[in-house]
Amino acid sequence: MSSLGSFALLLALSLAAYCFLAGLWALSRRESGSELLVETARRAGIASFGMVALASAILVVAAFRNDFSIAYILHHSNRALPLPYKFAVLWSGQEGSLLFWSLLLSAYGLVLRLRYRTDERLFAYASTVIAAVQSFFLLLLNFAARPFAATPGQPGSDGNGLNPLLQYPEMVIHPPMLYLGYIGFTVPFAFALGALAMRYPGERWIHITRRWTMVTWAFLTCGIFLGAHWAYYVLGWGGYWGWDPVENASLLPWLTGTAFLHSVMMQEKRGMLKTWNMWLIFSTFLLAIFGTFLTRSGVVNSVHAFAQSSIGDWFVAFLAVTLAACIFFYAKNRAHLRSEHRLESLVSRESSFLFNNLVLLVACFAVLWGTLFPVISEWVEGHKVTVGPPFFNKVMVPIGLFLLFLTAVGPLLAWGKTSFSSLRQNFLWPASGAMAIGVLLVATPPAWGAPFGMRPWQHISYFYSLMAAMLGTLVVLTVISEFLRGGRVIAAKTARGLPLSMVQLARRNTRRYGGYIVHFGVALVFIGILGSALNRDAEKEMSFGDSLALGPYNLVCRSYTQEETPNYSANIAIMDVLRDGRQVDTLYPESRFYAATEQPQHVPAVRSTLREDLYVVYEGQNPETGRPIIKAHLNPLVSWIWIGILVMASGTILALVPNRVAAPAALAAKQGADAQMHPAPVGAGD
Amino acid sequence: MILLTAVALTALAFYYVFHVPEQAAPAPEKSRVTFLQERKEVVYENLRDLNFEFKAGKFPPADYERMKASLEQEAALILAEIAELDAVRASSPEARKGQRN
Repeated sequence: MSSLGSFALLLALSLAAYCFLAGLWALSRRESGSELLVETARRAGIASFGMVALASAILVVAAFRNDFSIAYILHHSNRALPLPYKFAVLWSGQEGSLLFWSLLLSAYGLVLRLRYRTDERLFAYASTVIAAVQSFFLLLLNFAARPFAATPGQPGSDGNGLNPLLQYPEMVIHPPMLYLGYIGFTVPFAFALGALAMRYPGERWIHITRRWTMVTWAFLTCGIFLGAHWAYYVLGWGGYWGWDPVENASLLPWLTGTAFLHSVMMQEKRGMLKTWNMWLIFSTFLLAIFGTFLTRSGVVNSVHAFAQSSIGDWFVAFLAVTLAACIFFYAKNRAHLRSEHRLESLVSRESSFLFNNLVLLVACFAVLWGTLFPVISEWVEGHKVTVGPPFFNKVMVPIGLFLLFLTAVGPLLAWGKTSFSSLRQNFLWPASGAMAIGVLLVATPPAWGAPFGMRPWQHISYFYSLMAAMLGTLVVLTVISEFLRGGRVIAAKTARGLPLSMVQLARRNTRRYGGYIVHFGVALVFIGILGSALNRDAEKEMSFGDSLALGPYNLVCRSYTQEETPNYSANIAIMDVLRDGRQVDTLYPESRFYAATEQPQHVPAVRSTLREDLYVVYEGQNPETGRPIIKAHLNPLVSWIWIGILVMASGTILALVPNRVAAPAALAAKQGADAQMHPAPVGAGD
Repeated sequence: MILLTAVALTALAFYYVFHVPEQAAPAPEKSRVTFLQERKEVVYENLRDLNFEFKAGKFPPADYERMKASLEQEAALILAEIAELDAVRASSPEARKGQRN
């Protein structure tokens, strides 16, 4: 079977290379008969998907059949591994994850190539670019990181097992989500480079790629936060984001991709920022590849990174060639990217998008600098200077707050220029609400609960938390005001109730109102993050009946127990949770030992409420006293982060739904608009 | 067995890629008129958005009139160019030939 897998990968490489070379030849020559060559290239691209899918299926089947004659299966699986995790074997190691990457890229390419009728020439260019990227990854799989390489010598009777950190249900979802996000940016990149290469007239390529970009962004967002959720529930250190190099690597394309999603609206609506957008999507793709390089080359140390390998050189070469292609086509066709309008005023929706973009790019640069600083310092001075969370928090928190401010302000500004009276009209009550929340948080007694009684003058983190609460409120109120205002217009016209009118409003312009819901989710995430300034923890050696007090909770050790499974053995603490003297919960933190990998793993137990999380870790036994050590963290508002992500995902899904077709009256009005050059009376963009 | 499967896979891939069932028609080039029509749609959408936002009370009348005038001027320029290109196309030899037929 492994020979067939290797052959499928070789055939996939030949097909992808043909798709690229034939497409390049036909599109650059444009001779008669080149249409046939373009069609064969398209078909080769489709067929390459079939071959990569076959190779992936063979590797998964090999994991299920415990075929340890394949070195990859020997190193990443074992007989006792539960079945769902045998799927995860596909992306748990270097070679398999590159194969999975290729599979997803081929799948994106397949969809694109099947939908080529939308705009045949543009799709042919995009397909050629995607084929080039496919060829690179298939080259890696055939010559540098071979998933079907045979086990040297006689294969053992059992494998080395899957990394215990990956044996968690979310790990079956997190990497695919993240990969779909990383890889998905290849599609808008391919369209952008194709549109530039062919000097595509107009902005329709943006319209075509809009959904691709949003889906990709949503996958990356969910992937990043699933990673944070996994880190919170698996790594057992009580936090969800540690500014780890691999976490940062996923954040880099997310930041530029978010900037692209916003600024591309200016190109669509106003014909502005064409060069900027082109380079934003180029940068996003390059950063996605760069992130992959960081994770896989062993350049940086991380709990998430794959082992050190030689494929880093391949990535560096690919990044250099891609950048050179981007520069070449930009230099050749830059005249094509001239803006149709100029920025009229600094107080306008255009300028808010521009500021948003600049801030996101500053954030991207700061994360990149902090991530690469240890590598650069080692290169220049000969020793690694580590850049830890304090640097990132110091730089990123003010940047995040400024972004939150722009999130609140942007939608309320007018295109072109915003007058003072317009500003007053739009900001009065959201700003008053935000101020009221600020006063409430500062003036109320601390005894009322963790987020109250903030003293911003005592510590900078309290000041940031207060600002996050106020700006988060400002975002929420501006979103509500947008829905209320639009809903009232629809209600007046259709004589429906306000809630129904707001639903209709959202369905008429899903992109805009979906976007507002995403903003609402962002505000909730920030409110969740602000709680970290008020985190507390306590640690104690605990025997039966001992108690540990933390905030309003009292943890009482009821007993300890053990569990044996074929995959691991576990020591489990049984802890009663008391609040105001009354038992409210029982928690079961575990300390596991995985037999195949011979690695320990703490599995925290978490009692989660909207107000706070009680996070309990069984840290093992003190070697001197033999008594179990329990560590507890009290983390306020963490649930709001996960709720915010769900809201963001819902907003993105709404934005992906096509606008509801305008009612007959609105259609008639639209026709009237065509004739008279006047807008329809009610539209909300419909 | 594996060799046979490999040969079959290769043959299947070759057949699928190179057996193009019908003559592929050349993809049409995007014309300036098509581009202008797309641009016109965008400007109309901007006008509809502006109108809606004004009704929702987001802008004072003076701001609304200024922005509307600017968008209408943009639309007028686009419409004028479309009309000009349509006139050129109508007077071209191919169009006249088509009319005679």
